[in-house]
Amino acid sequence: MTALFDKYAPLQARIDMMMKIGSDALGVRFDDILSATRGRIGNREILLAGTNNYLGLTFDEDCRAAAKQAIDDHGTGTTGSRVANGTYSEHTDLEEALAEHFGMPSCIVFTTGYQTNLAAISGLAGDKDVIFMDADAHACIIDGSRLTNASTIRFRHNNPEDLDKRLRRQGEIEGGNALVVIEGMYSMFGDIAPVDEFIDVTHRHGGYLFIDEAHSYGTFGPTGCGIAEEQGVLDKVDFISGTFSKSLASVGGFCASKHPEFEITRKVMRPYMFTASATPSNISAARVAVEKIKSGGHLRDNLKARAQQLHAGLSALDYDLCADPSPVIAARRPNEGVAAMEWNWLMENGVYVNLAVPPGTPQSSSLLRISLSAAHTEQDVQTIIDAFAKMKASQGEMMSGMMSKLQAAE
Amino acid sequence: MSAPTDSNIYDKICELLKPYNPKNHPIEHSSGIMSDLEVDSVAVFDLIMELEDHYDVSIPMEMVSDIKTVGELVNAVKGLTA
Repeated sequence: MTALFDKYAPLQARIDMMMKIGSDALGVRFDDILSATRGRIGNREILLAGTNNYLGLTFDEDCRAAAKQAIDDHGTGTTGSRVANGTYSEHTDLEEALAEHFGMPSCIVFTTGYQTNLAAISGLAGDKDVIFMDADAHACIIDGSRLTNASTIRFRHNNPEDLDKRLRRQGEIEGGNALVVIEGMYSMFGDIAPVDEFIDVTHRHGGYLFIDEAHSYGTFGPTGCGIAEEQGVLDKVDFISGTFSKSLASVGGFCASKHPEFEITRKVMRPYMFTASATPSNISAARVAVEKIKSGGHLRDNLKARAQQLHAGLSALDYDLCADPSPVIAARRPNEGVAAMEWNWLMENGVYVNLAVPPGTPQSSSLLRISLSAAHTEQDVQTIIDAFAKMKASQGEMMSGMMSKLQAAE
Repeated sequence: MSAPTDSNIYDKICELLKPYNPKNHPIEHSSGIMSDLEVDSVAVFDLIMELEDHYDVSIPMEMVSDIKTVGELVNAVKGLTA
């Protein structure tokens, strides 16, 4: 007879190994968050380079003022779902603002980004439809497809020709449609989808294209609408989803559509209907952030400059980077142990990045993942580059330190 | 092209599993793909894409969720290519 938690023994062994090397990279606790780019642990100030705070708006004066005002006006919580307990004016104001930004007739906001894709995908795909998803799709896209009775086929990452082949292989979808799901910028490697080519292939086969711009809304495109806008094909995309928890400096998510009929899904999306709606303060902060994004060319310019600076700096140090310069820059490490050791070293030296390991990463890779912010200065990025340089120079010392820790733990 | 035999499919799966099995666990029909061979969930789906292309079939993700062993994968491919 096994105990309830026995199934997690292999996972516990991996965590135990990480804890022998250092601290739990997936359970960091900051004692204080000082700004968009600085935190504090104990008496140590940490340069934040792994928070997805792409435009640095979490401490923006206007976003904070709007959130505080919303609490004063409408309280701290909504106490229920929009279907059962009603919609606040903040929700519809934000939906209208986002719809206008995309030039689309419909937009629905959700309580978190994760729930957005869960809700939208499960609302769109019925029993007879077939979902085609990029092989590197985020967990919320995979989980959204699991909430449906639709058949789901993966195609090779960022490969429109492979999608074309699989759509052809599927043939006529009797009584249903193809829903193709991609992302604008992928969160682990920071690589960009050829959205324009995906639109051609999808529409040629009579399908609908759904693009998750969680990491690209705010950071790409002349007005910040994302990769589809950057590539000049925004008006051809069927559905665009995104999150408030990155560039929009809040918590929540949205899905916009060029199809006005999308509105009917409010009556069927379980992760929309059976959860509390987003708080007035979250929605109000995001509402102000939308305006900041529309006029945020200067923020995107700085983000781009910082990305190019960091990419050039780490490339010059011979780090194996996963993609061209973008707000996410990931360095591929030889294995999980080395990545965990280096992550700890960086934390001890005042730089917070993300440790990303399988199965949460493509190609079973172990990564040190950096997300940049428009709030990072040139000096901040130089500090990150210097830390990676010093870390590289300290490899021998670090390895012997790790061996000692492992031996001491045995 | 005639339908592949169990043996053809099993051999192909063993060949495709090689890069995902760096510890060289012995592969049997009864081997759990994730539990015994330690192939992670994302890599399983990568393996499935290679099988789909080799046999020109679609193996939907919901079908993969029910496949635990190499033998079950052989049977699934056999069913799709029959």
